[in-house]
Parts: sequence; structure tokens; C-alpha cells
Amino acid sequence: MMKKNTDVLIIGAGLSGLMAAAKAADSGKKVLLVAKGMGALGLSSGCIDLWGYSLDHPEEICQDPVQEIIKMVAAQKDHPYAKVWDVLEESLSFFQQICSQNGLAYEVAEKGNWLLPTALGTVRPTYLAPAGMAARELPRAKNILVMGFQGLKDFYPEVLTTNLKNNMNLPADCQLTTLMLDLGKIELSPNNLAYLLEKDEVLQRLVSQIKPHLAEEMVILMPPVLGERGHTKVLLNLVESLGVQVYEVTNIPPSLPGQRLQQALLHHLKKQSVEIILGCTVIGTTVLGEHCTEVLAEGSGKNLTIAAKSIILATGSFLGGGMEAQPGKVIETVFHLPIKVLDEKWSAKEFLSLEGHPFSKFGIEVNNHLQPVNSQGEVVIKNIRVIGANLAGANYPIEKCGNGVALATGYKAGKLVGEV
Amino acid sequence: MTTDRAQVVVIGGGATGTGILRDLALRGISGILVEQGDLAHGTSSRFHGLLHSGARYAVKDKEAARECIEENMILRKIAPNCVEETGGLFVQLKEDDPSYTDKWISSCAQAGIPTEEVEIGELRRTYPVLSPDIVRAFRVPDCAVDGFRVLWSNVNSARQYGGQVLTYHKLIGIKQSNGKICGVEVANQLTGEHKYIECQLVINAAGAWAGEVAAMAGLEVNVIKDKGTLVAYNHRLTNQVVNRLRPPGDGDIFVPHGTITILGTTSITVDEPSCSKPGQQEVLDLIKIGSEMIPELQNFRMIRAFAGVRPLYQAGNGAVGRAVTRNFALLDHQQQDGLNGLVSIVGGKFTTFRLMAEKTVDMAAQKLGVDAPSRTAEEPLTNPISKEILERGKKVFGVAGAKKAADRLGDNFVKVLEEAEKEPHKCKVFCECEAVSLAEIDFVARDGDSFTLGDIRRKTRLGMGTCQGTFCSYRTLGALSSYDWTRNHKEFLTKFLQKRWKGIRPVMWGQQMREAQLSTAIYCTLFGMERMK
Repeated sequence: MMKKNTDVLIIGAGLSGLMAAAKAADSGKKVLLVAKGMGALGLSSGCIDLWGYSLDHPEEICQDPVQEIIKMVAAQKDHPYAKVWDVLEESLSFFQQICSQNGLAYEVAEKGNWLLPTALGTVRPTYLAPAGMAARELPRAKNILVMGFQGLKDFYPEVLTTNLKNNMNLPADCQLTTLMLDLGKIELSPNNLAYLLEKDEVLQRLVSQIKPHLAEEMVILMPPVLGERGHTKVLLNLVESLGVQVYEVTNIPPSLPGQRLQQALLHHLKKQSVEIILGCTVIGTTVLGEHCTEVLAEGSGKNLTIAAKSIILATGSFLGGGMEAQPGKVIETVFHLPIKVLDEKWSAKEFLSLEGHPFSKFGIEVNNHLQPVNSQGEVVIKNIRVIGANLAGANYPIEKCGNGVALATGYKAGKLVGEV
Repeated sequence: MTTDRAQVVVIGGGATGTGILRDLALRGISGILVEQGDLAHGTSSRFHGLLHSGARYAVKDKEAARECIEENMILRKIAPNCVEETGGLFVQLKEDDPSYTDKWISSCAQAGIPTEEVEIGELRRTYPVLSPDIVRAFRVPDCAVDGFRVLWSNVNSARQYGGQVLTYHKLIGIKQSNGKICGVEVANQLTGEHKYIECQLVINAAGAWAGEVAAMAGLEVNVIKDKGTLVAYNHRLTNQVVNRLRPPGDGDIFVPHGTITILGTTSITVDEPSCSKPGQQEVLDLIKIGSEMIPELQNFRMIRAFAGVRPLYQAGNGAVGRAVTRNFALLDHQQQDGLNGLVSIVGGKFTTFRLMAEKTVDMAAQKLGVDAPSRTAEEPLTNPISKEILERGKKVFGVAGAKKAADRLGDNFVKVLEEAEKEPHKCKVFCECEAVSLAEIDFVARDGDSFTLGDIRRKTRLGMGTCQGTFCSYRTLGALSSYDWTRNHKEFLTKFLQKRWKGIRPVMWGQQMREAQLSTAIYCTLFGMERMK
């Protein structure tokens, strides 16, 4: 049995866990991060959604997400943002700073929210977008060219253009055209395509196929496949060779933009001397009184005991494996912390209900220090902080706040344990 | 309003209706089948998928049992691509009445159903998943059958002899003059257009809707609507059908289907023939009872629940639920009510659909003065696929994919294969869970009978596996986006996803809760589809 001692143990490698690790390390703490898998970040858009729509008019995009959140938490005290709104802006700057230091620049919109296209041709409001997705010129474009790849079965230019016309306010004279690029492959996955595009000769083959279709003031939209990690490089090469703006749009997983963000953050953590053990599952805990003194973890057949002053729980919700649903109850999988299950009905009748599904809000309740509390509001285990999708009260899919909550709660937890 | 003409109009595109259409066509009688939705959207796709050996009915209903074993043997022969010869087991648990078992053995023998006792030690070794409390077990010739495939095979076969099918056409009137039927009026559910079909005979094979159809002719047919809920597991829990050896009850049959297992069913009388909502409590009840045979049942992953309405028939009133006979009744409304030209076929079960169709068409033929005998028991539903074609298929679709596609497509497999050979990009697998290629999806989309993604699903099994359509529905929209009927993208996807959601909701635990969160994350968080215009 191997033993480890650390100031801060973080369980989970999603956005919240990585942020918490970055901030705790920034405060000078010794940080160990263990995670069962790669987290759900690789399934996400790669953008940071803070808050999408107006509270009073849920169909209208909100133009000042930070103000909207402050207004919202005044009424909804049990929303995760209510515990972290005070650090929201500094958490955003911290995030932008560490991402850009690691080669992944994030941009803010002219107005509060970007309105960025998806592969379905819908438009999603988001607060921070990687430079390769931040389609600044799109609302004024005279020509939009949507490009797909023969062999890539998850992206269809016609679907994007058909719906973009209905979903985005485009100039009346805007021309939408499509083009299928051919790399001579029958089947391509987003990851192997991204790998191929990092090769200059492949990129130049693309350029020669695109050039005959270029027009004035054109914006090109593509599936998010422009490079695995050297994202900016592939994009810049393409923009330079074509002389027009090129952007990636959000698509179904696997999501390269989400994976790139994860890689950039992991890279940052390594530089900060954070120890990271992936493929490592916490299988037992020792709780004495109101403190967790030790956890038992298992990775590649070996057991490991970890003693930590502070523990940050970032194992996610059902998808990430942090919670498990059984008939009539929900279990938090590591510490069996109390889970708030709000409704008798866990899901709405309509899959695409504008109210969302009650199960989205299931999670652990915390105090302002992000410590888990029971239904009487008493702290359950004092040296644990709970962050991200583990938290109760957010209706992520409808409010469009998932990555924002992860980022702000992760940051605050990292900051709090830095002060311990 | 356009007018069509046929000797016979068949109401209802279930197993019985399509069986009747085929039998008519094979006897040279012109027929048009009218179905309000897609084929099999009613009871014929909402059952266990069990091709009964008859053993379940042997004690109580010897006639039904005898019919089952005969039809079971016929269907294996004429439709091998629709039937998986799994074999079945009947297991007696400690708490079950041993004298019932003795009665059951002799009843099976009397009905002509072979049974063979299995040594318990051997059973444990083969299926450690089964309860250690099983004291006796018997092999019977149960099979798994694909309802969708049987129905489309019936129709394809009927078409070769001139049979016609109108799906998405709802019956809105039955016209009669001087006590004789002269035609029906139907409304196209997709375009709203009306059509008049002139005919000599109407056959009411509307299953749970048979009472509603009879009422349009001013008659009464008393169909008991008995809802049964079933659960689909994401695994093949056993390789054989497993039945509980006791008087038929809820939740006592497991049927393996391809990669999944179906557990059922419950029995509740409902008012509406369209009541196919599976209840969460019914699911919990099923798991509880099913756990008696498979103790670890709650640890296996469920994919969805679904429900169907059994149209049970009892002349006169009295019995309900499981007490009602599974026999069918053929009603000659001329004899019964003095209305010439209307026949109702009610009750029965999927396993005996062909026999029901044969008896019905015997009556129809006699009325029409046709003396050709039924040929449906001899003529195969689809022609067998040659070894050479299957070998070519393996090169294109892979070994497992080719076999599945060949079974699904029957006579059409060779056409799909040729297209995929010509256009290799169509070999791409769009539905990984069920190994459905773009070539197959594209073929079905163009066959003239597909109007929704659900129609494609029923013909190909697309979206019926683990992910319940989360990935393949979006891909299929993309690949088919040049077709007219996909024009409204939002509607095309929403309708399909909503139908899948209906089945996921009652089993939203464990892995399926993760799946629900993933599909919500994709369609709401990534695509913002809840606010799509």
C-alpha cells in the first residue's frame, strides 16, 4: 500500500476540479488530483457559458450575464452561483489568464454574450469563446460558407445553413453556401481528422479545394476539427492561406474544443507541480468526527491511501459518475453525502421542455464556504468542499450556466483551501 | 377526393391485417390495407417478441396451445430471418406448486408440445444468472420473433402479387347501401387528403381499435383493452426464453432479442386503444417479480419501458385480464347483424396471426366466390439469401453487420448491397448500437413508405439500442436533409427524440440516468434545441 500526504486532494478532472487545482496551487499549496476518467469536459462545447437568457423573458438572450446572475441569486439562494457570485469576475480573469498562458486564448463578446452557431444551425449564447470559435464578423457577414468533410458522419453543412437562416439575425442579402471537402477517406472521426489537419500537406490540399469558392467578406464555418492541441496554429495557417475568417462551431461529442481546454489546463497544472493521477478511483474514506482524514484509492490494480488537509469533491453529476440514481433515491458515490432530490417526478414529460428536468438540479447542498450541509443546514464534513456539477440547484441545460458554475465554484474552492 | 377500387379493404396494419393482405394476394383477390399510422405501431410491436411454443397456455387453453405450436413450426419454416430459434425454458421455483408442474407436463403432451426436463446442475452451469431456488426446469420450443420484420415481409410478399398498402391513412367512414358494404372513406394523416375506396368486403383487423371500426358501421364488437408494460434490458440475460412454471401471471417471461432482453408483462384494463404509456410503478413491479427468477436483475441496465394494448375478445361479458381466452374469434356480421360485406377478426395473439389470417380469408373467399386455398403456410415470406451474396455483404458491412442487415432487409438486401458497393461512403455505420449502415437507412428512406424517423427505426432498428437514438437521429437528419419530408428539421428530430424519451423516463436509474443526462446535455446545452426556431 502506497501512502501519500498532501495539503489539498481534488477528486475529479472536469472543469471545476482543474480550476480548483489551479487556484489551490496558485496559493502555494501542495495539490494532488485524482480522477477515475477524463471528466465530462471532453464532451462539452469548449466555451464558457455563464448565463444564457433573460430571467423575465426566458426566450430572450440576456446581454449582461454577470448582472443577470446577481439579480437571479437575490431570488434563488439555493443556486450554486449564490455561493460564488462575489468571486465570479475574478474567477473569469484567472481562467482567461491561465488558458492564454497555455496557448488557448479565450475572447469576450462586444456585448455580454456571444451568439455562436452550432452544427444544428441553432445559436447558443456563451460568455467566453476560444478564439477559433469567436465568430465576431458573423452577424454582418455578406457570405457564409459552411464546410463539411466527406466521411465525417457527424457534421452536415446543409443542416447548419437551413436552420441558421431561421435562428440567427443575418443581413437580408447574406449568401449561405455549402461545400464538402474530400480528403479521400471513407470514414473520419473528429479526432483523426484533427490529427490529419495538423499536417501541412493535408491543410494545403484543403486550401486548394476551398479557394475556388471564396467570395468577398466571407466567413467560413467548419466543424470543430482544426487541430488536436495546436489549435491556434492550424486555424492561423488556414486563415492566412485563405485570407478570410474561419471559425469552428459547436458539435456533438467527441468535442475537440472541450478536449483542448482540458489539455491546456492539465498542462498548466503540471507546470504548477500539481500531481495528477488519472484512472484512479476513490473506493473508501475514513471520516473521524467532522473530518475526513484519509481516502483509499485504487488505480491500475494498486491501492493508495491519501491523507489531505482539504478535500475538494469534483466528481460531477450522473454523467461524470459523482452521483448514482436508484429507484426512489440518489447516492453521492464517494462520501455518501446527502443529496437534495427536489421532485417526486425526476423528469419532465417533454424531452425539450423549456422548464428543464428536475434531475438537472439534483445535487449536494453547500454553505457559502462550499462545505456540504444536511437538510438542517449543518456542515456534514468540515474539510470537504463541493464544486461543479456535484452541487444542487442549477438547471444547467436550460440556464446555460454549466461551465460558468464549474469555473467559479472551482476557483472559490481553490481559493478557500489556499487560506486553510 | 380520389377513388380507388379493390375487392377487399383490410383495416389495420398489424400482424393479422398484413397476414390477411398477403393471404388475399396469394389467392388472387385484390386487397388494399389501410393503417392509421405506420405498420406495427400498435400491438404488433408492443409485445415480448415471443413466438410461443404454446406451453404457456397448455393447462388452461389447450386449443390455443395447439394452435401456437403448429404456427410456431410454420413461421420458423416460412420466415427464418424473422425468427431466432432460441428455444425456451420453463422454470419452477421452490415456492411454486409442484402439482401444477405435473399437470403442465401432461397438458403439453396432449397439445403436442415437446418438453424435456433439464438437469438442474447443468442449468446452473449454463445460466448462473438464474435463481438458485429453481427446483425443476424444462425445455420447450419457444422462439424470439421480430414483429416489425414479419409485418413488412408480409407486405412485401403481398405486393409481389398485387396487394396494396396505405399507411398513415385513417378510416373515417364505412359506406353501406341496402344492408351491404360498398366502400370506405379514409383520410391521409400526413396531407389531410381524403380517398374513397370502393370494395365488396371490409375486413376489420384493427386489433385494439376493432370496436371503434365496428362502431363506424353501426355495430358493436366488444374488445377488452388490456395494457401490458414491458422492460428492455441492454443485455442478453440468457440465450433462451425463460418462463415461470406456474399459472400465467405478471412479469414472468424473459425473451432474448438480438443483444437485448425483454421482460414482461403486466396486465391492466384500459379505456383507450392508444394507451401505450408505460408506468413507473409497473416497471418496479416487473423488476420485483422478475427478480424471483433472476435475483441480480436490479443490477442490469434497462434501456426503456414500453407498453402495448392486448385486444382480448370475449363473446358476452364476464372475464377480464388473464382469465380471458387468448383464442381468436371470426365474426361474420352478415350472420350476426345482417350487414353484408363486413367481417371482424378479433382476439388471438401474434404467434397465431397467420392462422387467423387464413381463416379470415377462407370466409372472405367464400363470400367472393373464390375457391383458391390458402398458400401462406408453404410459401416462404422472403427468399433465402445466397451464400455468395452474404459473403459479398460481409466485405461491405462486416461479418456481424452483414448478417443483421440481411435478416432485416430480406429480399431487399441485395439492392442495398449493390448500392453500398457502388458508393462505398454509404457503408458507414450510423447506428452503432444496432449496426445500421447509411446504405440501409437511405434505402428505407426512399422506399415510399417512410415518412418519419420513427418509420425508419421500425424497419432498421436504428435508435433502438443503448443510446436510444441520441447520436444516430442527428446523423440521419444530416444524411437525409435533401429529402422533402425532413424539411422541418426541428420537428423531424423532436418527434423521434420525444418517443424515445417516453420509454426512457420510467427506467431512469443507473446507466440510463447517465444516458438521459447525456442526451439532455447534447440537445439542450450544446444545441440549445429547446429554443430552436
